[in-house]
Order: sequence, then structure tokens, then C-alpha cells
Amino acid sequence: MLDVAPRVRKYEILPSLQPPGIPAVAPLPTGESEDTRRIAERFGEAVLAAGLHHGQQVVYIKPEQLVALAEFAKTDPHLRYETLIDVSAVDRSELPVSDHRFHTVYQLRSYSRKQHLMIVCPLEDGDEPTAPSLTGVYSGANWPEREVWDLMGIRFAGHPDPRRILMPENWPNHPLQKQVPLGGEEVPFTLTWEDPEFESLGKQILEAKSAPPKLPPGMSLENMIINLGPHHPSTHGVLRLVVELDGETVVNVDADLGYLHSGFEKTGENKRYKDFVYYTDRMDYLTAMSNNLGYCLAVEKLLGVEIPPRAQVLRVIMAELQRIASHLFWLSTHVLDVSGTGMSLLMYATRERERILDLFEMVCGARLTVGYMRIGGVSRDIPPAFLPHLEEFLKIMPEQIDDYERMLTHGPLWSERLIGIGKITREEALDMGLTGPMLRGSGVDWDLRRDAPYSGYENYDFKVPVANEGDCYARYLVRMEEMRQSLRIIRQAVDNLPDGPYRAEDRKITPPPRAELDISMEALIHHFKLMTEGFHVPPGMAYQGIESSKGELGFFIYSDGSARPYRLHVRGPSFNNLYAISKMSKGHMLSDVITNIGSIDIVLGEVDR
Amino acid sequence: MTTTPVAQFSELKREQLNRYLHDRIQVPEELQANVMVTTLDKIYNWSRKSSMWPLLFGLACCAIEMIATAASRYDLARFGMEVMRPSPRQSDLMIVSGTVTKKMVPAIVRIYNQMAEPRYVLSMGACATGGGPFKEGYTVVSGIDKYIPVDVYVPGCPPTPEALLYGLIKLHEKVERQSITTVPWYRKGASEAVPVPVLGPDIFDPRKVQVIKEYTLGAAAATRGAAAATGRLQPQPIPEDVKARIRAAQAKYRAMKKQPA
Ligand code: SF4
Repeated sequence: MLDVAPRVRKYEILPSLQPPGIPAVAPLPTGESEDTRRIAERFGEAVLAAGLHHGQQVVYIKPEQLVALAEFAKTDPHLRYETLIDVSAVDRSELPVSDHRFHTVYQLRSYSRKQHLMIVCPLEDGDEPTAPSLTGVYSGANWPEREVWDLMGIRFAGHPDPRRILMPENWPNHPLQKQVPLGGEEVPFTLTWEDPEFESLGKQILEAKSAPPKLPPGMSLENMIINLGPHHPSTHGVLRLVVELDGETVVNVDADLGYLHSGFEKTGENKRYKDFVYYTDRMDYLTAMSNNLGYCLAVEKLLGVEIPPRAQVLRVIMAELQRIASHLFWLSTHVLDVSGTGMSLLMYATRERERILDLFEMVCGARLTVGYMRIGGVSRDIPPAFLPHLEEFLKIMPEQIDDYERMLTHGPLWSERLIGIGKITREEALDMGLTGPMLRGSGVDWDLRRDAPYSGYENYDFKVPVANEGDCYARYLVRMEEMRQSLRIIRQAVDNLPDGPYRAEDRKITPPPRAELDISMEALIHHFKLMTEGFHVPPGMAYQGIESSKGELGFFIYSDGSARPYRLHVRGPSFNNLYAISKMSKGHMLSDVITNIGSIDIVLGEVDR
Repeated sequence: MTTTPVAQFSELKREQLNRYLHDRIQVPEELQANVMVTTLDKIYNWSRKSSMWPLLFGLACCAIEMIATAASRYDLARFGMEVMRPSPRQSDLMIVSGTVTKKMVPAIVRIYNQMAEPRYVLSMGACATGGGPFKEGYTVVSGIDKYIPVDVYVPGCPPTPEALLYGLIKLHEKVERQSITTVPWYRKGASEAVPVPVLGPDIFDPRKVQVIKEYTLGAAAATRGAAAATGRLQPQPIPEDVKARIRAAQAKYRAMKKQPA
């Protein structure tokens, strides 16, 4: 491999290091809960450790028993973990351990019991690390497992479709493995353009030659195969769909992702904790505030800091405004795709969205990539003009939503194109690990804000809209109602906005106020330490899911005690929801594929990360 | 100074028109209502710049700001640009709005080749211009201008709609400066297509250019050739002629800078 200088990490050696196969850095789970006890009793020896860690239920299981455990968790009447939320993996080769280089990590959720379970599976070392595939138990494991294979190089035995998913077929390595460098020199622009070395730079520019197209598995050349994208006006970015058509009926859809894969996770592992906040903006660029929030909450979980009440309420206001903005954008593009004449709705919805962006510009100076939140609070307090403007927005917005509904809800064109299209039953939605409006449109009453509250959401009174039909129309209704509920939440938040600091007063994490720097040496030292080195996060691992406008946005962080995350994984709701496109489109017309893409509400920045 | 609205309007109109009229040929007073004299260049460029159709083409976050520019508040229609065409055959301007990854860049170059001349490229945002926040990463190319010619760069992450509009105005100015006698698309013969880059790991650290090159070329050869069967990718040395080329370039550079070898 490349001779890139190894990064120096310092490790806190923890006492009581444990049976083999257990992390040497992240501490063992302690205590127990009902679920972990039940699992430990059932699987005996195969459970390496089980208990609570940062309030999360964690089970370490041997790979032989992983599938059995998943099946048990899913079917046991006392556990009922209906859905697999996320699959990720940790490469521990830079940790002071010698065995079990790879761990795969699974997040399960039980919607009926409001529980979350993390399963960690230390894999046997070898040339080809292999984990058993969970696709037989939860079909939603399909894409996440392909992602782990692609980026981490872990094989999944029994996986029905073991292709790469994000990187090109012929990519030479698995980029998230620790020995693969991030890619670039740390300080760019050290050479000038006249330098001869630049003459050979980028010389993969050869004559036009394209790899022969490969037929996705399951498709046959008997039928017509067409490409939708990556440059297509209705794919909401650079999504490429390979569609097999019989006449105009869709037989098969295969999604080709990765055209916008910008390596967030690897970048995050090379940034200090505080510096990654700005990157999260660029992931799901329509819900930058929610991304900030999810990431900050995950780090704060590991740090154990207390967030002052004012900061929490400000965060809620911003996240809900962002939800409305994102739904408005979804609405306008969806109408544009579906009805062709929907340009007017784009104009109306943009008008309101611009008001929200104005509010954001007021608090942080940016419209889209806001970077407003910080670990420990928010970056600054709201300016005095913010609240009057927000009031005005709250006043006009309900009418506008009614207006949109008047244009669409009972319109014959709109219902013709949406009703009965892209049907997903409740069981399928759970099985595929769908979240957000996709889940609620299929009749599952689940909202993380209400059922696993974070950032003080338990203090607000709001309804979770649910529809049972599971088609595009149901999801449309759910999202429209969500906007109204978001307005309600903002209303309550504004009415109860407490006074006080807008960020935690912990000088190890948040910088001191500027005025203090002039008079206090200690403040100066804190500031210097924070800006140069960042703060250290105690070893451990945390998964934090929040309800973004698209679904459950999750951040999994594995900390080794240094100032940078050892492993950072993002569970993008668009990615998991997009998995449903094939099931939704089969048997429908080609034009319904476009409706389905709009209805899933994807953002490619988050699908590809 | 005129005061009535009608007079103001005609004043404004004359002012705007004046830029496009011929600067020396005077039209007799009695004909001025009906006849205007201009040059072919001026009228040609005026019509081109007043209805420049952008390609409906978004890549990442910057595309959202591009859409905002086209929508109600900023109203791209003021510049005759509201007709966004999804087909490259019908469009004049490609706004590269967002992160360009190695997987995407061949597609972009292909789309560029499909656009009919005259064609312009506006690189919107830090990513398209130089890799942006992901420059250090393993999948992002550092700037679309390594692959296709760029006319205007708009900085920002993302650029605000105002910034994008400013960039478009700059592009219009560029169009106005062109002359029909010298523009490349009226020369004899077809213009050359831009080579489509082949997908592969790019080069990142200029100091390690040799190492990376050997590695990536080796890896590419290995996946294609017999070495693929073993499943192990071995770095292979780059061919002699390429090495000679690099050495010649280095010598040229040193001679230019009068440095010892
Ligand atoms: S320049 Fe910034 S806003 Fe634009 S695509 Fe790149 S990261 Fe996104």
C-alpha cells in the first residue's frame, strides 16, 4: 500500500480486559436489562457480553449464533424486534488489540415495545472476513450489508446479491479499512502549476473507453432494458436506475448508487469531533439542521454533557423549521415530476421555503449549509429580529398549506397518479427497515420524537400522522400533516423559550466567550486547546437516531478516547428507504417509477454519503 | 431630464438599445423610428446571451441553490434563462453544480460532448471548482476543470443565488466579447471531442505522484489481466515511455527555472 505516515493515536489502557473478542478500548457493557438477560439466558456461551452501555442495550454474540439471535429477537414474543435499522462494521486494526479485527454492528428496533438493541459480532480473522448474512431474517439488511462489503471488505455468507453498491465495480480497495489512506495530502496547494509533476497529474484521462455494461442480476435481455440517469431530470440528483421493461410495464428495477459518494465516513474519521459538524450539512442538504442535531446528540451521548434548556428549545425550533423546508421542497419537486404542469406549485412552495431560509440566514449567516449547532449547544443565540419574523411565518404558513392541499388533494390528476401506486404493506415496511413517512404511510405508528424522545421532544404536544394505505397518496397526506404538526411544535417552543445560556458551560467542550479571553489566562488556554486539539471523547460506542424529515437518521460513533472518531457511520434514511423502489415499481408503468422516486423523498447526498 | 413615465420608459429603452447600435454609422433623423444599424457581432451575441438555455443538471447541494435561483424569488427568467433543458442537445450552458465524483465524471464529460456548440460551462461552488470540502477524500475529483473547459467559476459552498446570478452576468459579458469571425465553432472541420476519463483512483498527493501512479496503474492492469484470477492486486511499475515523458517534462521545467537536475 501507499507509504502514508501512520496516524498517532493515544490509548487509554483500561483495566479489566475481558474475554477474547471483546473490544480493548470501548468498555464492556455493564448491568443488564430484561432483554439482554433473556438473550443471555437463551444463548449462554455464545453471548460474549451483554448489558447496558451509555443507556443502550448491547449484546456481543459469536458469529455462529448471529442469525439465530436475530431470528430469536424478531420472533420471540417478549422481544419482538421487528426491524433491522442499520448494519455497520468497525475495523479495529489500529486499536491495541491483536484478534478479531472486524466487528459488525447491528441496530435493531422494536416498534411495539419501543426498544433499541445493538448487536456486536466479532468476526474470525482470516483472508476474507465473513459474517453471516441477516437477509434471510430481515430483507432490509440487503443494501446495508452490500455497503459494508463495499466499503469495509467484509463478506456476507448467504447474501443474495453480493455486489459492490457505492464504489465502481473495479475499485481496487475497500476504502474504510484503516490501512487505506484518506486519499490526499493534509495541506493542499504545496506545489505550483508550473511544477512538472503536475503534467502527469490526473493522467487517467485516456481515450473514450467505457467498461462493457453489465446486466444486473435477475434481468433478461429478452425484455427492453433502459437506463434512467445518472443524468435525468426526475431522479432528484445523480441516481441511476436500470429498468427492465415489458412493453411499458416494469419487470425489474436495479438501482446503481454512488455517483455522489463523497466519503463522509472516512473524512469524519480524519476530522476532530467538532470539525465534522459542518460536513453533516452537506449530507442531506435539505435537512442540514437535523443532520447537525443527530451528530451532536451522538457525540454528546458519549461525552455525557448536559445541554442547557434554551439550546434544546432552539434546536427543536430549527429542526422543525428544517422539516417544513424539506417537505416543501419535496412537495414542489414531486408535483413537478408527477403532473408536469406543477411549475406553479414549485413557485409557491419556494416562496415559503425562502422565508425559512431567511430565518436560517438570520441565525447563522447561511441558507443551506447552516452549521448552526455545536457539540454542547448551538453556535450563537438568535438575534432579536428572529422571533418577530418567525411569528409572521407561523401566522401565514397554515393557510399556505391549506392552499397547496386545495390545489392537490382532491385534484383528479393528482389522485389518479398517486392512489394505489407504490403500495407497501405494513409487514413489508417493517421487513425492509423503512422509516419516516414511508413507515407511517404504511400504518406503523412510530415517530422517534415521541417514542424515543431526544432534545426535549417529550415536552411538546403533537400528533403523529399515520395512514394505512401504504401508497404514494398516503405518504403525501402524512407529509402534509407533518408540516402542520411541526408548526404546532414550533408554536409551543416559541411560547416556552427559556432564558439562559445557549451552550454548555463546559470549557473543555465549548469555547469561552470572546470577552473572557482578554482577562482570563485560563480561558485563553481552554480556547487554545479547543481550537488546536479539540476535545477528547471517552472510549465507547453510541448510536443515536433522530427523526429527520426523511426518516430515522442515525449516527454510530465508536470512540477510542482520542479527539477524532475512530469509526463514524451514518445511517441515511434515504438509503434504506430507496431499497423499496424495486418492490414499489414492479408491475407498474414506467411513469410510476418517477412517482415512486418522488414519493420516497430521496436526497442523493444522503443515499451515497 | 424627462419626467413622465412614458418618456422615462423610452429613455430607458434607448439607453439599453444604444449598447447594441453601431457606434459610427448614423441613421438619418426621419428614419430613426424604423431603422437601426448594428454589427453582426453585436446582434448575434445579444440574441445568444438573451436566451441562454441552461442544462437541467444538478449534482449535489449546489443544485438546490440553482433551483432556488430559478424559482420564484430570484427568477432566472429575467435573464431569458428559465427554459432549463434536460437534454444536452438543446442547451447552451452547463452549470456544474456540486460534488464531482470519480464515478460521475465520465458521465459529465459525455454530456458535455453531446452539447451542441456554442457551449459554455459554469462551475458552481467549491466542489466543482476544486474538490471543496471533500478534496482530501478518496472519491472526489479536485475540480471539473481538469476534464472539461470552464468559462466562469462561482465560489461559495454553496454560492448564494445572488452569486450565481453574478456569475451568469459575467458569462454574458464574456459572450458579448466574442466575435463571429473568430469563434471556434464556425471554423472548418468538426471540433474535437473532449476525452472521456476512465474511471479509476485519482492522484491526490502530488509529492507521492510516482508511488500512487504505479499502484493505481498496477491495480487497473491487475483487474483486467491474468492477475485478476488470483484476486491479489500487485503494484506494477509504470511503462518506460511514460517514465521518459515525465523525465522530459521535469527536465524542461528545470531548464525553465534554471535548476540543477
Ligand atoms: S460546494 Fe459546498 S454546497 Fe456546493 S456541492 Fe460542494 S459541498 Fe455542496
